[in-house]
Amino acid sequence: MLDSKIPSGPIENKWTERKFENKLVNPANRRKHTIIVVGSGLAGASAAASLAEQGYKVKVFTYHESPRRAHSIAAQGGINAAKNYQNDGDSVHRLFYDTIKGGDYRAREANVYRLAEVSVNIIDQCVAQGVPFAREYGGTLANRSFGGTQVSRTFYAKGQTGQQLLIGAYSSLMRQVGEKSIELFSRHEMLDLILSDGKARGIVTRNLVTGEITSHTGDAVVLASGGYSNVFFLSTNAKASNATAAWRAYKRGAYMANPCYTQIHPTCIPVSGDHQSKLTLMSESLRNDGRVWVPKKAGDDRAPAQIAENERDYYLERMYPAFGNLVPRDVASRASKRMCDEGLGVGSSKLAVYLDFQEAIERLGESKVKEKYANLFQMYEKITDENPYKTPMRIFPAVHYVMGGLWVDYNLMSNIPGLFVLGEANFSDHGANRLGASALMQGLADGYFVAPYSIGNYLGGEKLAPIKLEQDPVKATTQAVKEKIESFKKIKGNQSAETIHRRLGKIMWDYCGMSREESGLKEAISKIGALKEEFSNTLWVPQDDKCLSSEMEKAGRVSDFLELGELMCIDALERKESCGGHFREEMQTPDGETLRDDTHFSHVAAWEFNTEKPKLHKEALTFEYAHIAQRNYK
Amino acid sequence: MTSIKSLLKSSVGKKFLVGITGLGLSGFVLVHMSGNLLMFFGPEMYNTYGHKLVTNPLIYGAEVGLVLMFLVHMGLALSLTLANRSARPIAPSQLASSCEKSARFGSRYMALTGLLVLTFVVLHLITFKYGTYYPVTYNGVEMRDLHRLVIEIFKCPLYLIGYLFSMVVLFVHLAHGFSAVFQSLGLFSVRGCLIKKLGWAFALLVAGGFFIQPIYGYFYGGK
Amino acid sequence: MKLNLKIWRQKGPSTPGNLVDYDIADVTPDMSFLEMLDVLNVGLVEKGETPIEFDHDCREGICGSCSLMINGNAHGPETGTATCQLHMRRFKENDTIVIEPWRAKAFPVLRDLMTDRTAFDRIIAAGGFISVNTGNAAEANSILVGKNIAESAMDAAACIGCGACVAACKNSSAMLFVSAKVSHLAQLPQGHPERSQRVRGMVTQMDHEGFGSCSNTGACEAACPKEITLENITRLNREMLRASLIS
Repeated sequence: MLDSKIPSGPIENKWTERKFENKLVNPANRRKHTIIVVGSGLAGASAAASLAEQGYKVKVFTYHESPRRAHSIAAQGGINAAKNYQNDGDSVHRLFYDTIKGGDYRAREANVYRLAEVSVNIIDQCVAQGVPFAREYGGTLANRSFGGTQVSRTFYAKGQTGQQLLIGAYSSLMRQVGEKSIELFSRHEMLDLILSDGKARGIVTRNLVTGEITSHTGDAVVLASGGYSNVFFLSTNAKASNATAAWRAYKRGAYMANPCYTQIHPTCIPVSGDHQSKLTLMSESLRNDGRVWVPKKAGDDRAPAQIAENERDYYLERMYPAFGNLVPRDVASRASKRMCDEGLGVGSSKLAVYLDFQEAIERLGESKVKEKYANLFQMYEKITDENPYKTPMRIFPAVHYVMGGLWVDYNLMSNIPGLFVLGEANFSDHGANRLGASALMQGLADGYFVAPYSIGNYLGGEKLAPIKLEQDPVKATTQAVKEKIESFKKIKGNQSAETIHRRLGKIMWDYCGMSREESGLKEAISKIGALKEEFSNTLWVPQDDKCLSSEMEKAGRVSDFLELGELMCIDALERKESCGGHFREEMQTPDGETLRDDTHFSHVAAWEFNTEKPKLHKEALTFEYAHIAQRNYK
Repeated sequence: MTSIKSLLKSSVGKKFLVGITGLGLSGFVLVHMSGNLLMFFGPEMYNTYGHKLVTNPLIYGAEVGLVLMFLVHMGLALSLTLANRSARPIAPSQLASSCEKSARFGSRYMALTGLLVLTFVVLHLITFKYGTYYPVTYNGVEMRDLHRLVIEIFKCPLYLIGYLFSMVVLFVHLAHGFSAVFQSLGLFSVRGCLIKKLGWAFALLVAGGFFIQPIYGYFYGGK
Repeated sequence: MKLNLKIWRQKGPSTPGNLVDYDIADVTPDMSFLEMLDVLNVGLVEKGETPIEFDHDCREGICGSCSLMINGNAHGPETGTATCQLHMRRFKENDTIVIEPWRAKAFPVLRDLMTDRTAFDRIIAAGGFISVNTGNAAEANSILVGKNIAESAMDAAACIGCGACVAACKNSSAMLFVSAKVSHLAQLPQGHPERSQRVRGMVTQMDHEGFGSCSNTGACEAACPKEITLENITRLNREMLRASLIS
């Protein structure tokens, strides 16, 4: 059993208690500590800026050209906070409860409570940074609602909330770069983790412009490298989003927790052809005003306008009258899939349902709808060439987020001392399903308000020996990275990594996607094994690796995705229950909802790397404050 | 003081000065053009106006100011243009294909039209200010008969065409320049419809006014 | 659909580049422009040739990575669209498409169609922020911001830092980019205490990076995928004058 180091005492006091227990580093001594931050999205940028403000020396690494290009930028809808500005009964406790319930009782209570607690500080911080949140006429902050909740607690900046929050964190980061307290390494990809005496002490990176391999050492390493949805090839993640930093840490001993928990977002633009390179999300906020429906009759090929009101099935409103179109993402996605499986899908592929704004346009007027969603509607029109003001959107679920990630304790430290994991890269707060507008909240909570305390506590309590670049283990780790690159070059095949990646994605989607079952998962594992073999025989990378080469970058990432995909299937196979985004065909209620097995699976599955077979460790989940129950959104 | 120094060192500050001096020069051409129109009130009025202008002791100060404005305007515009050239490794015209999303016409040719106006100004000064001195006497005062010189010069169709061409160039320069000044000064955006129209109207007024005199001269002299 | 592509190939920042011809068949109208390049690259790898490098990431028009001069237009022929959102249905059978990188001294070419736009980061580091340390913030609703002001600030803040404004400008001027940030923060009350240092710092850094000055041509506005307006440049000029003359 893993120790999550949760402080004792009532849940409301745990975080306060921990902050008081924490050891501190004297301001004058902070300069002497170097902290390495990998990733510059919301979690990485906010942590780096906050740590530098405290006086630590921080080195930030990103494979992007600029920290501002991190994928947090693409989040559209908003960020939750328990401000209760709308006077609709919201509270820290309610946000905590909604998140635990939304996560299908597979998240760690204490972490979630802390998340809800600091959510209010995040909004304050972002406003002070100049994030242009939407406002009421009186000048106060506006809110909207999101899935899985019955209060309005989501703060937003048009349909570009992620962009604005990231720019806020990025500007704080750049301020520290300007003040020379942060050293920024852009277009540098982390390829390995350096351990010394079992503690995380540095990383090995590849300069993506020159191909140079270098090592960087410090006193703590912060991984904020995002999620691994791209294991499915087609996802709403950016093309470069990858698992490499986290996976290489896993291979050095960090545990990977609940890798099978993936979130399938219900409202994405459907696939249009084989050339498709990624999927585009349409924000969940659209479900505030859009109504989801399919024709009542299977194979109805008429244009949506010709299908009369009584021939339409607004199935979410019918099945879940209390939450209607705003049920959580996993529930909405599975319902769409079920409709399409029954032949009720629409569009040429029949793998889509309608999201209709007719009623909202009639109720609010087109200009009001435009004000709320203009950029989303425009994006939809650009991609599909259809005008959503006139004809309903066609949408279908797509992989969007992973709740799984590296295992961390309450202090966000992994089982490797000195390795902290923040944001989507860790597993801790969303259980088996994440609620909308909570990813931004978690990334910033970790970065601004949790990691700066926890890292100080770690550094204040450790005596770290000096580490030299020219000695082992730094030398050995650097050598291992170089050897891996050489091994790719030796293959001299004729397939690009992307071609293999696409096939891996298909396997993952077919067998480990929206629904999973035992024989399929077993088949997927054997197919991935064969694909790995093929990868190591037919991969093409350029022979010159001392230059900019995206093929070389992709080769490394795809090799990691292949291994990760396999672990996801193993984890999905092991978890013989349905919960949140993990739906096992064998385990469902008569009306097709998830059926948990709390007796056997109320735990976190944390996997330890082993050359033979990964080893499973468990962390028990107990629910003292959120009353455990079958989720009900009816 | 240091903040003003840093302003003048910056591209924004230089642009600001180019704008201010441009605005001053615009005022000058407007006055000049109005003076020219006195031609319609007969040679006496025209020549007397010229005489009063050059005998006014303030004229030296005004001339120095004008020359300074001209030099600052040109000097800074030149330095900005050179900096702009070096900011661009490949000139837009050397790109493999041309841009369809439009940029405003006048704006692309400010340096060129500016140089043409400069050439014109030099020639213009040689022809008129330092041209033939024809004396004439009104009410016992001897003065220069500029009216005669104007008629004489514009009789030549080549000169007439050259002059009119220069005024078209001036029009293009002013049409963009006048409205852009307000953008550089941070007052109005050049995209604002009104300010754009005002720029055009001003340029049309000045260039149009300058058009009248030579054409008048050409036909009057032909009589 | 069949197309003839003329693509800029350049090995590194210091080596000369040139346009190379590629013919591509099997392009479908639903493909995005970048997917068309993906298809081309997969084909090149199969032939053992080095694929074309181009910047891209989110492919939904928000990260600002993609950056192509398409037939002389920054981000291609459509207005308010980033390259990644451009679809092949905008082109016709047998079209010739010229694809080049952004051209500016301040954006050196790294390889093929990829340029280095870190000059933008350095401009932000020189003042494009509000100095507020984590934990310093007051209760969010204690700062009131009028709805119109918040929206106007948001419009300026929508800039994705792609550099199309620089690429489209005959002077390679970064004024639209800088002005968008200055404008975003100058309009909000939170941004007022630092407004003078901010604009001075950013403009100085902009000049230092080797960007040209603004000739008010409006080409930047026409090319901007987020439709950032020239009014922001007016505001930048005003802020700069204000910073120098008043404070």
